[in-house]
Amino acid sequence: MTTLTPEREPAVLVRAPGPAELRPARTHRRRRALELTLAAAVPLLLVLLWQLAATRAWIDDRVYPAPSTILSDGWDRATTGDLWPDVRATCRRVLAGYAVGTAAGYALGLLMGSLPLVRAALEPLLDALYVVPKLALLPVFLNMFGLGEGPQVALVAVTVFFFVWISTMSAVIAVPSGHRDAGRVFGASPWQMFRHVLLPASLPAVLVGARIAAGVAVLVIVASEQIAATDGLGHLIFDSRALFENDVMFVGIVCVAVLGVVFSELIRFVGRLLTPWAPRDRGRGQS
Amino acid sequence: MGEPYPKLRAHALTRAFGRAPRRVDALGPLDLTVTTGEFVCLVGPSGCGKSTLLRIAAGLLRPSGGRLEIRTDSARPAAMIFQDYGIYDWKTVLANVRFGLDVQRVPRRAGNARAMDWLTRLGLSDFADAYPGALSGGMRQRVAIARALAVEPELLLMDEPFAALDAQLRVILQDELLDLTQALRTTTLFITHSLEEALVLGDRVLVMSARPGRIIAEHRPPFPRPRTGEVRDAPEFTALKSELWELLRKEAVPA
Repeated sequence: MTTLTPEREPAVLVRAPGPAELRPARTHRRRRALELTLAAAVPLLLVLLWQLAATRAWIDDRVYPAPSTILSDGWDRATTGDLWPDVRATCRRVLAGYAVGTAAGYALGLLMGSLPLVRAALEPLLDALYVVPKLALLPVFLNMFGLGEGPQVALVAVTVFFFVWISTMSAVIAVPSGHRDAGRVFGASPWQMFRHVLLPASLPAVLVGARIAAGVAVLVIVASEQIAATDGLGHLIFDSRALFENDVMFVGIVCVAVLGVVFSELIRFVGRLLTPWAPRDRGRGQS
Repeated sequence: MGEPYPKLRAHALTRAFGRAPRRVDALGPLDLTVTTGEFVCLVGPSGCGKSTLLRIAAGLLRPSGGRLEIRTDSARPAAMIFQDYGIYDWKTVLANVRFGLDVQRVPRRAGNARAMDWLTRLGLSDFADAYPGALSGGMRQRVAIARALAVEPELLLMDEPFAALDAQLRVILQDELLDLTQALRTTTLFITHSLEEALVLGDRVLVMSARPGRIIAEHRPPFPRPRTGEVRDAPEFTALKSELWELLRKEAVPA
């Protein structure tokens, strides 16, 4: 880019178009291709390394089965139908808990964000509950709901609730006062204020919280299914470990990973549809 | 003009943003020659690519076409003063002014002395240890000016530096800048949307068109150097201002 012209005076610093400016379309295409290649190549490379290590017996393939074994085993279980009841059970619990937790967290976050007295009344209590590890509440829920779906759903709901509550409340508090003032001067009723100002203004931040909560919901359900369930992916993982079926265990782990990614990407996609004005949320788990 | 070696020369400079279907031509084609020691003011409607030109000169952005040459031996000959956000809230006033010198690895003692010297020239020596958050807008902009001048740049780029200030403070800072630049004779590109500001400060005032920005008029305010802020009261000043305003109004209001 910098050309030095042989002249009698000081050198010349040149600002000229670079490749990105001269061929913008091609540069963009290449950049995009490189990003996609990297995104696919790095996991693939690690899986290949794992495969190599297993077949070369660098690692004990009874403890760490080769990816090919996991894949063929997973395929078998999927085609014979052994896998689906567990996947379905986990999905059902996550979705039910997520729906309840998001709705409750959003409602309370909105209330506490807009009404300082409600915030004063509830914030210390909720802050204290927030730091309690949610899994420690499982015994409480077991006592409350007995065995069955109740405690699992409740646990997911509570976990999701706190994420959505905190992000909603801080988003509502952070709505610039100019936005509120403009609404108030026009005489907006509380409902109109919510519908036209607070809801859209807080939505982008709420959706970030909701997406993080989606990942955490999957994380929590696996742990709780291990403790108190007779089906579900968490149960599958720990049960097969107890039976020394390590390949089945890994099938379960892969399923959980896929479920988590699909779920949080789904929330991200919905978020994009709901907030076309907001900058794209690109980060993965900032939690 | 007519000098053999202009400090800065732009030829057929263009810049577009975005890709093919939604491509926006922001600048040019634009030709510009600035001689050493000249103070050139660029005036134009908002969104006309003034800042784009400045960012290309600063090396923050590359042009889409054409070229811009700066005659210098240094790799970073320019210092830039931004409208706002240029100075760091987490550094004291002295550390802010020293920042450019720190980057250039000037020894701490020498850097402090030079930074303090510039703070004194701008009347800020009492605030050396304060944080910018505690300063008024005018003082913050003085800090930004001191920081840019402390590195003794060959080329000073100013992007609407006084736009965020109130009208009275603008006049005061314009007069201060006039004093400083007449003493230093640093080659300067100064962007503003205020005609008055351009006429007071500039050796040459260039009027730019609406997007994509091209130069549609050139004026040399007929006020001899060294000048003071009193030129604002001269009858030629008002005449020149309304002449330029006629030009600019056509660009500022899309038909």
